[in-house]
Amino acid sequence: MSRRWPWPVLAWLAGVAACVLVVARTEFSTDLSAFLPRSPSPEQQVLVEQLREGVVSRLILVGIEGDAPDKLAEASKRVTGALRRDARFSSVDNGDDAAIEADRDFLWRNRYLLSPGVTPERYSAAGLRASLQEDLQMLNSPAGMLMRRALPSDPGGEMLRLLSQLQGAARPATRHGVWFSADGTRALLVAQTRAAGYDIDAQEHAVAAIRAAFEPARRGTGAKLLLAGPGVFSVYARERIKGDALRFSMIATVLIGAMLLALYRSPRVLGLALVPVASGALAGVAAVGIAYGSVHGVTLGFGVTLIGEGVDYAIYLLTRIAPGAPARAAFERIWPTLRLGVLTSICGFSAMLLSGFSGLAQLGLFSIAGLVVAAAVTRWVLPALVPGAFRGPRIAALERGAMSLLAWAPRLRVPALAAVLVAGAVLVAHRGSAWSDDLADLGPVTAEEKSLDGQLRRDLGAPDVRHLVVIHAADRDAALAACERIAPALERSVTRGWLEGFESPATSLPSRETQRARQAALPPAQELRANLQKALEGLPFRTGLFEPFVAEAGAARTAAPLGRDALDGTHFALKVDALLVQRGAGWAAMLPLRGVTRPDDIAREVAAAGGGSAVLVDLKGESETMYRDYRREALAHSLLGALAIAVLLSVTLRSAARVFDVLAPLVAAVVLTAAGLLLVAGKLSMFHLVGLLLVVAVGSNYSLFFERRAASEQDRGRTVVSLGFACLSTIIGFGLLAFSRVPLLSAIGSTVGTGAMLALIFSAALARRGEPRPAPVHP
Amino acid sequence: MTTGAERGARAAGRLALGLALLALGCAPGAAADWGVADLMRSLAQVKEARGRFVERRDLAALTAPLRSSGTLVYVAPGHLEKQTTKPAPESLVLDGERLTIGKIEGGPKRVLNLPDYPVLWAFVESIRSTLAGDLGTLNRFYRVELSGRESQWRLVLVPIEPKMREVVREIRIDGRRDGIDTISVFESGGDRSTMTITRDAS
Repeated sequence: MSRRWPWPVLAWLAGVAACVLVVARTEFSTDLSAFLPRSPSPEQQVLVEQLREGVVSRLILVGIEGDAPDKLAEASKRVTGALRRDARFSSVDNGDDAAIEADRDFLWRNRYLLSPGVTPERYSAAGLRASLQEDLQMLNSPAGMLMRRALPSDPGGEMLRLLSQLQGAARPATRHGVWFSADGTRALLVAQTRAAGYDIDAQEHAVAAIRAAFEPARRGTGAKLLLAGPGVFSVYARERIKGDALRFSMIATVLIGAMLLALYRSPRVLGLALVPVASGALAGVAAVGIAYGSVHGVTLGFGVTLIGEGVDYAIYLLTRIAPGAPARAAFERIWPTLRLGVLTSICGFSAMLLSGFSGLAQLGLFSIAGLVVAAAVTRWVLPALVPGAFRGPRIAALERGAMSLLAWAPRLRVPALAAVLVAGAVLVAHRGSAWSDDLADLGPVTAEEKSLDGQLRRDLGAPDVRHLVVIHAADRDAALAACERIAPALERSVTRGWLEGFESPATSLPSRETQRARQAALPPAQELRANLQKALEGLPFRTGLFEPFVAEAGAARTAAPLGRDALDGTHFALKVDALLVQRGAGWAAMLPLRGVTRPDDIAREVAAAGGGSAVLVDLKGESETMYRDYRREALAHSLLGALAIAVLLSVTLRSAARVFDVLAPLVAAVVLTAAGLLLVAGKLSMFHLVGLLLVVAVGSNYSLFFERRAASEQDRGRTVVSLGFACLSTIIGFGLLAFSRVPLLSAIGSTVGTGAMLALIFSAALARRGEPRPAPVHP
Repeated sequence: MTTGAERGARAAGRLALGLALLALGCAPGAAADWGVADLMRSLAQVKEARGRFVERRDLAALTAPLRSSGTLVYVAPGHLEKQTTKPAPESLVLDGERLTIGKIEGGPKRVLNLPDYPVLWAFVESIRSTLAGDLGTLNRFYRVELSGRESQWRLVLVPIEPKMREVVREIRIDGRRDGIDTISVFESGGDRSTMTITRDAS
């Protein structure tokens, strides 16, 4: 059988093939990057880097609970042992002796280079005498028991000074030799992956490795494993997004398919109805892939929603094919209206395209490309594919029902107006407090995960860092030196009670200059011995007791300065790597602050001490500002989009009354939906705003078709029925999304599901049926 | 006012008397009835105790012994305070798992989380758990042996953990009924300390 395909079909086939090629090469991401700005400020850059690849992003917090502490401790030790042999982890820590031993050993060996107490005064005769007297007092207390062995090598007490410096940092409690939550119900571990947090495949392997290590350790106990951390949540989110996207698209497809099958009674036509949607989704993914290099999983999940929107076009066409008339003829009639609907939608989605929030921009591009392709396929490809024998659905009964509903609908005008007025009042009352500005509310992390993360962080005494001093310098050593210059300003701030404390990479890895100064503070052996001799006069120390000290101080004087490598195998390596990072050509050092009460005063001190190279960054404030900016921008763009829609309609319809007829139902639906969401959810997020945009995009089709003058009563009946089914498919597609566990998807789903239904009801209620009106002008 | 020497002599006298009674076989019945559990029970009855201490340390690093003295306060079950007045003021306050060390009243304090210092923890528990009659905790850190009788007993605590044994060889606690008289610590390096306690009348 030979059949000549018309050129639109051939072009479509070629397009589909090209899209498949592009999509096959497109990467899919599910990390936070889509929720971060595309062109961040330097402060935001810190935040973005930390979230994407910083050490913070590589931490996996592990809790083991559900049995007696000794069993949990045993499990913790076994898991730690197994993971320490795993090359995927750069460090695994459960507070056991191995790690603490390594730390103490490092501090002990390098005490003269590390301790801020090493000054020329301390190792003069007078300084040594003061130290020795202190030692004597110390020996006379129970704590002295611990320093007796160190005394002959460290009369200056440098080791104690270093240990007490460590005390400042909050640490978890220890039981049975490993970290535990304060209440002793949960053993704690911290694992750091080698791979960056945004590498979700690697994070997934790491999570699997932890589970595998826990399996044998768990046997015979009731222990349960808890995992938290950015990487873990990204893995979970990807699973959830994948799962939800797959599940909801399948359910939506089945439901909408069943509906269409009932309507058209032809599997082939059902297949045809899905052609525009499938083509649109494919084109959307390909467009995003080309424009952004990768497609975010959320964007993909959003593709589900296009089933609800894009299938409408096919419904409009197929339902409108009158028995006996060719498909093309049916389409000629509705195309102008449908084209206007598509243009209206594009105006709405352009707002998202302009967003600096790359997740939103992706959604915008996806939607525009998807809708244009779906509409074009419906217009040029579908009529050619509809079998010649196809007869429009026999829906006379439905038409009659629809017409009587339509006749009744104007009675809704008064209650609708009242509802809209109340809703408007609600919106006005909530203005200013209506928006949630927490970036975390947007991300794919659920509330339970967030609370688990917070719990484990509290247990570990490692609260989320909010304030950081960030220092930029040319190289690593200059960055460390800058940290040392800032430290006195921060110490003064601690004394004044502006903050509880701070951490600095230079504590564990002093700058070379500081190390050299400390070496120079130690006198040469002969002089040191003489100072010691003088200091010991009249004190009851045994002769020759401090020979080890003289020897070790002498060795420290000429030792090579410590580099980053010297820290390997200790906690200090982790800390320094987290706080000291290469950034482009230079280096950045970060000093996390604890318990900040007067950020503005600290910022002033820091700026004064750092000479412009140091700034105080408030990460939470920064992320809130960032989000607020994007939300405001999105709102502004949405209003622009609405304005563009109004202009488009004015130009096309050339009648204020008709523009009002088209827009009034949409405004009413948006106002009522927004007020309803506000009352139910408490706060609106940017995604609700996106949902409202979609309501305008989808709803404009309804109001345009209602507003359009029908050729005949039967034509009008078919229009109303096709709108009813289109709306039903939208409600199915989006309504299902409302049940998603991904906040973004559920926000958009509940908004559009509700809004589309209201838009249809309002369009019907406000339709001026039978009123005389000039013939529609379609350019 | 009694001197340490006088008290020492009296304690020696009591010990001799106790040994003599044992030797005479007057005590077997009592010894069989009275054991560690009984001692711990009677110690646990004490809700609060105050007293003065005199401590002497003989250290290998020094050519002369160190002496100190001050007051002790115990409040059941977990609070123990040692205020040293001579030769220099120093305070040690133990509360739960926190040990606060202060040199002078009102001066800077160091707070130690005991589980992070297993050796120190084991050491302070030898005193606190004995005062609290908490045999469970004692057994966690030490092999516990009781000798003597209710009116004159001796607990010998030998550390279980090798790490603790590196520092402390043995702790001897001597007491009468529900009170402690002396605590002697024999350290592995040959260092030795003895604390003699006089309870305030309550």
